[in-house]
Amino acid sequence: MGPTEGFDSSDSHLLTVESGITMDTPAISVRGLRKSYGATEVLHGIDFDVHPGEVFGLLGPNGAGKTTTIEILEGYRERTAGAVSVFGADPGRPTRAWREQIGLVLQECEFDPLLTVVETLSLFSAFYRSPRPVDECVDLVGLGDRRNDRVGTLSGGQRRRLDVAVGLIGDPRLLFLDEPTTGFDPSARRGAWNMIEGLRTLGTTIFLTTHYMDEAQHLADRLAILRDGEVVALGAPDELVAGGMAETLVSFRLARPGEVDVMRPAVHGRLESSNGTVRLRTDDPQRTLYELTSWAEREHVELDGLEATRPTLESVFLELTGGNGG
Amino acid sequence: MADVRLAATQSRYALLTALRTPRTVVFGMAFPVVLLVMFNSIFTGGAADSVTFAGGTITASAYFTASLSAYAIGLSTFTSLAIGLTAQRETGQLKRLRGTPMPAWTFVAGQVMRSAMLALIVVLAMLATGVIFFGVDVAPERLVGFAVYFALGAVAFSALGIAMTALTPTVDSASAAGPFIVVMLAFVSGVFISVDQLPDWLEAVGKAFPLYHLAEGLQTCLVSGTGGTGLAAGNVASLVVWGLAGVVIATRRFRWEPQAARS
Repeated sequence: MGPTEGFDSSDSHLLTVESGITMDTPAISVRGLRKSYGATEVLHGIDFDVHPGEVFGLLGPNGAGKTTTIEILEGYRERTAGAVSVFGADPGRPTRAWREQIGLVLQECEFDPLLTVVETLSLFSAFYRSPRPVDECVDLVGLGDRRNDRVGTLSGGQRRRLDVAVGLIGDPRLLFLDEPTTGFDPSARRGAWNMIEGLRTLGTTIFLTTHYMDEAQHLADRLAILRDGEVVALGAPDELVAGGMAETLVSFRLARPGEVDVMRPAVHGRLESSNGTVRLRTDDPQRTLYELTSWAEREHVELDGLEATRPTLESVFLELTGGNGG
Repeated sequence: MADVRLAATQSRYALLTALRTPRTVVFGMAFPVVLLVMFNSIFTGGAADSVTFAGGTITASAYFTASLSAYAIGLSTFTSLAIGLTAQRETGQLKRLRGTPMPAWTFVAGQVMRSAMLALIVVLAMLATGVIFFGVDVAPERLVGFAVYFALGAVAFSALGIAMTALTPTVDSASAAGPFIVVMLAFVSGVFISVDQLPDWLEAVGKAFPLYHLAEGLQTCLVSGTGGTGLAAGNVASLVVWGLAGVVIATRRFRWEPQAARS
């Protein structure tokens, strides 16, 4: 199955049944979504569903349309065409009752720097009919030791955690996270991931955008890869890796670089070499490894540091997005 | 009813923020009171100790107490909202608020209430200073008129301050325009210079704007011994018309998303 297949609704339903969740109405349903700014169309008709209780990742290079998509779902932007529903309602006409169920963590967001963490959360909790307790939100994001400090004195990572705490204050059924860990150091990202996984266990549906492959692979139950305003792949991360066209990489070093030319006709795969380091890209790793090791045995050649690397989500992503990750 | 409480909650936090902002406390609150003390110590006394204007004749001390109260109302509402809301818009705070179930009117009402409370604190400090140190006489029957002018002025200048944010794409532009407009108007509205000393054409310019009428109204309410509420149709009408203009512009042109750095 090619990577561009497998995002029709029937396939999505199959996944829902497999993961044991009742076949409810999807939390989010997007069909033929288009968005133009002036004469420029930035979303060219995209489709996907997000099921209740799952973590759905929207992955793509900068400028692919991630923020435009999430802001349409959040009720900030009007769409140009297509059908969009979030909890059965049109986010283009956000109502108060609808907003009660939605939590937001925007890509760039600031709160009043002169209020404390607790004051900020108390103010936002007043907006909701049944908010999550302020103390619980503080603890969920691990800001307990800064609770009475002014927002203006928090570090960048702590402010991001406050963003998440405010996103959770309404006890939302669905949380939007727009690039939640951009600018985090590795340990802060790990902490954020643990927090998001914790939310999933609480039953919150999470819609996440990111341009970090490892983040998507680690967190998302399913993801859509967006390129130039089109969904180019949709499915579980493992499915995308397995079903993708990305090739396994076999690498090793040869003591005598000249042997590469002798080896070339005997082994399946695309071969490149420099200074004795050989890289073989293959769509059939079993055959390639068999032919390679047979050849080496026959010719008494040592394959130093032999290694086969399965394709990762990153290699799938780079292949689908034309190698332009930035 | 719950939403009225929500507006009050927001006004409480907005007031907390304002009282933690040095610019607001120094420029908007302490400055007018200091000006009052200086004006009453420098300009009053001697032959020119009384001012005759449309509302009657009062001591210069009482005149400037009312004038600078009008000035303080302008700073606490118009200037403070124009700068504060532009800053909240440009830093994305308003966009974030818009993404909550909070009804927009409760936010706006909260901001107006917070401005009125700031103005009230300063005006009460002004009246106390005038009465205690400068022998200003406040006639009880005119306090109602004073309160009406205060309320009309606070609401009208708040509406104009919110409308002003439609014209200020950045905090810098708001910080320049907000105070500048009030200070310029103060010169032609009988705030810094009594109206009887203004050339006719400058007074005519002042009369076109609401600060003149707020000042004249408050001044009239400090004229004692003449009975009546001190409310004059012309002054009330100016505040109402300008206030409504502010409301119309604010409802049509107010923006929740950052304007300067649009992505």
